[in-house]
Amino acid sequence: MTTLQWLTDPAQRALLLPGLIAGAAIVLMCAVLSVLVVLKRLAFIGQGVSHSAFGGIGVAAIAGVATAGAGSGTAQFFIVLAFCVAAAIGMAMASERAGVEADTAIGVFLVASMALGAVLIAWRLQHRGGAGASWESILFGSIMNVTRADAVVATVVSVVVLATVAWFRRPLLFWAFDEPAAAAFGVPTARLRYLLMILLAVATVTAMKLVGVVLASALLVLPGATALRSSDRLTTVLWIACSVGLVGLIAGMVASLEANIPSGVCIVLALTVLFVGACAASSRLKRIARPPQGSPQ
Amino acid sequence: MDQASVHPVAPADAATVAAVARSSGAAPAVEYESVSFTYPGAAVSALENVSLHVEQGERLGILGPNGAGKSTLLKLTLGLLPIQGGRIRVFGRTPTQARRDGLVGYLAQRNEAELRFPLSVRQVVTLGAAWRTPAIASTPRAAREAVEHSLSLVGAAPYAETPIGRLSGGQVQRVMIARALAARPRIMVLDEPTVGIDAVGQRQFAELLENVHRDTGMTIIIVSHNLRAIAAGCDRVACLARRLHSHVTPKGLTPAVLGELFSHDVEGLFGEMHVDAHAAAECQHEHDHAHPHDHGEGQARMDPNA
Repeated sequence: MTTLQWLTDPAQRALLLPGLIAGAAIVLMCAVLSVLVVLKRLAFIGQGVSHSAFGGIGVAAIAGVATAGAGSGTAQFFIVLAFCVAAAIGMAMASERAGVEADTAIGVFLVASMALGAVLIAWRLQHRGGAGASWESILFGSIMNVTRADAVVATVVSVVVLATVAWFRRPLLFWAFDEPAAAAFGVPTARLRYLLMILLAVATVTAMKLVGVVLASALLVLPGATALRSSDRLTTVLWIACSVGLVGLIAGMVASLEANIPSGVCIVLALTVLFVGACAASSRLKRIARPPQGSPQ
Repeated sequence: MDQASVHPVAPADAATVAAVARSSGAAPAVEYESVSFTYPGAAVSALENVSLHVEQGERLGILGPNGAGKSTLLKLTLGLLPIQGGRIRVFGRTPTQARRDGLVGYLAQRNEAELRFPLSVRQVVTLGAAWRTPAIASTPRAAREAVEHSLSLVGAAPYAETPIGRLSGGQVQRVMIARALAARPRIMVLDEPTVGIDAVGQRQFAELLENVHRDTGMTIIIVSHNLRAIAAGCDRVACLARRLHSHVTPKGLTPAVLGELFSHDVEGLFGEMHVDAHAAAECQHEHDHAHPHDHGEGQARMDPNA
């Protein structure tokens, strides 16, 4: 099925629309967060949180609400979300209070959640039977499986996350830019760290619908990394990150429809191509984005 | 060396402290009373029974060797470490309250800011002035004016629109001072501000601090093991080596005082540390050059009857 057929056939178009709406909302949310993720070097946390979703899916399977896809079904979505938020807070607490190195804490939660998820799903299949979740869908996502309800949830979540970032933008920026100084200025740095972890968990779980568990964290890295290669002005960086996310989404969806391969893989590959292009043209782009001015020296 | 024989504050210097307090007439900016602190798991305390008053508008240098507890004292002042023993008041408030109320400006020992951040110099300074502004409000006019004034004061106005990542180390330091000033604190705390800066940069920094003090009249505490930085920019020096050894004016940093400070209390911890008498004399000369009128003030403060 080609992209043109999807767009011209009203029935197919109606199937595609929820995925497009959800994808745009998720990509915009992740693009804004990705700037903070890259600058604060939190990319590995995205991996840890997204892989923790396996544990959440296992719990959903035991509860009898697991369906195909990592975030499919509202009940499963909220179970996975709660599990990932708890995992994110656990990672933060382990590194902050228990003295465990941050990357070690993330690694432990990542593998433990995956193992727990596998055990719970296997137990469910052995003892109660029934269809398990589609592993390919869990791993790589499927935009074609996005329902209207999913699109509504993704849009609402994205609006809430972006509004939260906008509300806390001043202290969040100060904390992200210079944490020790921010603490000395009275910025509640510990609370902001937990807030960002929760926002990342929410964004990651929501993004799983689109690109799956494995690639969800890519949406929280690639748009920001590409934008930061292109400009050193905050507003410009945010606009570029959002644009890169949307271009990657559309290009990935077209490629997915044309080649009949999972959408998540295509979207991430499209974003990767944009990142590589930005790296190649980095100095040139910065020269264009830079307003004319005198040398600071 | 018998630790118990070391008097926390030399008697002659206690008179200096009293004179300073009387001459100012106002409540102290910072009061340290019998402050002690030991890091968890450490065999030796970082601070022992430190008592000190910092007067409003005063520039106090805290001098001591590495590991003397200088940065610990600053972190306690900022409320970044819990007070274990004794009492600290910053303008009558606990350190945590003072920090939350924005009374304390801070310049860190090492710049740990993420300089890849896509922020202009003006945006960085505005963070200090307006991070408390509610999300729905634009930056208040008073904060914008404070930002512009701070940028001018430190000489960063010409590159206010430049991204922070394109500045030199010295320029970044000026921006960080401007950020602290823009928050309109009542006291500025600087932790080893001249580490890694060459002699010319140190002189420029001393001039900058002099300008800031002249313009704002704020209380300034500088912590350093660098005699030059302390001597050139302070009214009074507290010599710290886990315990407070003495209060002196910069002219009082004689080789004998420095010898006691750098070898006395930390002997067991760091080994014998030799003080270069020539360096001390050079610092004294530098201070005389930087503060030609300080001699009379110093005498007045030293003499309780003046």
